[in-house]
Amino acid sequence: MNETVFDVVIVGSGASGGAVAYTLCNAGYKVAVLEKGRLINREEFSKDEIAYARRDIVTPSLFDEYHTIEEKVDGQWIATPTYESGWSFWNGNIVGGSSNFMSGMLHRMHPDDFRLKSKYGAIDGANVADWPISYEDLEPYYAKAEEIIGISGHFEAHPFEPPRSRKNFTQPPTKENMVVKLLDKSCQSLGVKSLVTPRAVLSRDKGDRNACYYSNFCGSYGCSSGAKGSAREALLKPALATGNLTLMSNSYVKKLHAGKKDEVEYAIVIDAITGKEKKVRGRFFVVAAQAHESARLLLNSANRHHPDGLANSSGTLGKNLIFSAGGSGQGELHKDALKEIKFEELMQTGLFVNRSILDWYFIDHWWDGKFKGGLVEFMFEHQNIISRARKNNEEEGKLVWGKALGEKLVKRFTLQKSIRFEIFNDWLPNDNCFVSLDPTYKDKYGMPVGKLRVEGHPHDLKVGNYISKKCVKILEEMGAKNIDASVSAAPPQNLVAGGCRFGTDPSISVLNAECRAHDVKNLYVADASFMPTGGSVPYTWTIYANAFRVADHILKAL
Amino acid sequence: MKRRSFLILGSLIGLSSTIKAKSPDSFGKSFKEVEATIRAVQEHMFPSGTELPSAREMNVTKFLFETISDRTYDKDIRAFVIEGAKELQVREKGRFASMSPREKEKALRRYEESSYGQNWLSRILTLTMEGMFGDPVYGSNVKEYGWKALHAFGGQPRPKNRYIEL
Ligand SMILES: Cc1cc2nc3c(=O)[nH]c(=O)nc-3n(C[C@H](O)[C@H](O)[C@H](O)COP(=O)(O)OP(=O)(O)OC[C@H]3O[C@@H](n4cnc5c(N)ncnc54)[C@H](O)[C@@H]3O)c2cc1C
Ligand code: SF4
Repeated sequence: MNETVFDVVIVGSGASGGAVAYTLCNAGYKVAVLEKGRLINREEFSKDEIAYARRDIVTPSLFDEYHTIEEKVDGQWIATPTYESGWSFWNGNIVGGSSNFMSGMLHRMHPDDFRLKSKYGAIDGANVADWPISYEDLEPYYAKAEEIIGISGHFEAHPFEPPRSRKNFTQPPTKENMVVKLLDKSCQSLGVKSLVTPRAVLSRDKGDRNACYYSNFCGSYGCSSGAKGSAREALLKPALATGNLTLMSNSYVKKLHAGKKDEVEYAIVIDAITGKEKKVRGRFFVVAAQAHESARLLLNSANRHHPDGLANSSGTLGKNLIFSAGGSGQGELHKDALKEIKFEELMQTGLFVNRSILDWYFIDHWWDGKFKGGLVEFMFEHQNIISRARKNNEEEGKLVWGKALGEKLVKRFTLQKSIRFEIFNDWLPNDNCFVSLDPTYKDKYGMPVGKLRVEGHPHDLKVGNYISKKCVKILEEMGAKNIDASVSAAPPQNLVAGGCRFGTDPSISVLNAECRAHDVKNLYVADASFMPTGGSVPYTWTIYANAFRVADHILKAL
Repeated sequence: MKRRSFLILGSLIGLSSTIKAKSPDSFGKSFKEVEATIRAVQEHMFPSGTELPSAREMNVTKFLFETISDRTYDKDIRAFVIEGAKELQVREKGRFASMSPREKEKALRRYEESSYGQNWLSRILTLTMEGMFGDPVYGSNVKEYGWKALHAFGGQPRPKNRYIEL
């Protein structure tokens, strides 16, 4: 029997896999997308906090699939499985991947982010490298992603705002809570410029996707209107409509098989429900499983041609994993001390804060010095009810319950609202942040799990603390109470990149500038793995844009 | 911190994580043995006459049992919920459920002095709040009284089934 040979087989149906599938299916090629998770449709999502935010349902149970995390204890690296620690590194494992659950605050990288090393020089202990492409190469794809994903926003000139080919966003900004009046004014009086946040959320209907209805529960939840620019809504549905996409959910890819030295022949796939194994053949293969899982899959695909892992002749596969450095802070706006706006306006639910600050993206100050800074995003505290109710219920080390708990909670929910900032700055790539295969632990499919060593560089903390102090001033100016800020070295699991660097020199990079493996001519990696440095923004706009760029290179090769 | 050791260490009577329920039935049986104690703790934490609905009117014990029995719940923590209750029973010589509110308060504060006890109490508090402020589809938060008390409501659309069963 003749097995189907797809033109392209994509592993992972998230942001990156979706963008590749969209492009190739629209160009008439037969594409298979292999996704280990199940399909949840728009109509099936709900705002069930217990299910989406408190149990592992849209991510694997940690007893089935997990990572081991290496931390330094008394000078020794100790690996702890995440089922022990409860510290999950999964972000969303259903059709559409993590993009279903993102908050959708999207930013382009700055042109200087592509040449960080040339611009700022080497930093001791950090493996900073320039990108083999420039902002100009990626700009058309940022624009393409903006249009197709439906990123809403409003352009305002700022010295650190990356240039745009299109003057303004097609989708105007989403509706904003009146708190922006207070925030903008406070920034202004401190000489800080607040900008409208571009957001992967539709403010107007787009095709069969409806505008946002301001559900108040966006991040961590699937979207019931199609407004959120997830890969499932914006890319996979249109790709399916071409008739060229075979979407295989519940299909865990165990290995890619390179029968010849420079060519992958098939993916070995396990049906997550029946446990049956099969082969899926293709002319080209695209790995898009989210950074650390992509490197893990290639490492797990070692064979006699590739003893150290597929596409790993450089020995750098899995190295230079990066997260997003930074921190966050929060303050309470109290009813009895609120300035500028009415308390009822502040308490209106669902509307976005939609403000970001670029003023400290680059720092060049006579006293503080010259260094690369970062981006700040303002938002309300997540509106989850159970998690808000659980917070800060200790006084003098003792749990609060009974009457006192009732008073505390009612006050917290009805007399104040918390506003927070998040800082994003470069997580410098370094020798102690990488993914390898754990020699002992295996997932339920019998495959070695990814072992993540996740140490940051001390410079990251310095930058984060610098910016954090500025943000605390803004909260103070707004009149916020009980301000609490922390800059931490802990990696945010949902913002991850690196592990398969792209570059022009095959001896120190895994992928070429087109994101094709140097060693294997029909293998591409489309997710954030390629990034040598991450910029000081969350990654997803860049992931979408680069995956569209990679897809165009695949089109040329097909 | 390793979760297992974190859950086990500090238990006075040295219980270990061995009650991992093999079948729902056997778990149901272990739960029965501690149900009265857990219920009494929840009712002490959420008594009537406060600004929040009481544990009693919100079916929180049934919720707790059902949610920890579900396959989506961490099996180690499931065992810990039972063990911690047993520990409290042993410490208080089986009397906890029949104590006066003052005695209960003292007993729980004593238990809280050990980090094991504090973890367990915090877990019971969390599980109770999950019921009280989670979607009513889970059988607690009766008539949305939990949400009404906080003037905070779950978003739309609301779940039709528990745990995203499609
Ligand atoms: C709560 C949350 C909020 C976020 N907010 C933002 C934000 O505001 N701004 C921003 O820029 N980014 C945000 N992100 C990050 C964003 O979602 C990710 O950067 C983006 O989705 C990554 O795309 P990806 O294609 O690399 O991976 P994903 O979208 O995660 O897709 C990878 C897919 O591959 C599948 N897969 C993995 N291994 C295998 C295998 N072996 N076989 C088959 N399938 C496999 C996975 O199940 C998954 O579905 C957020 C993420 C989360 C979770
Ligand atoms: S409706 Fe709007 S706020 Fe709600 S999930 Fe969708 S995009 Fe987010």
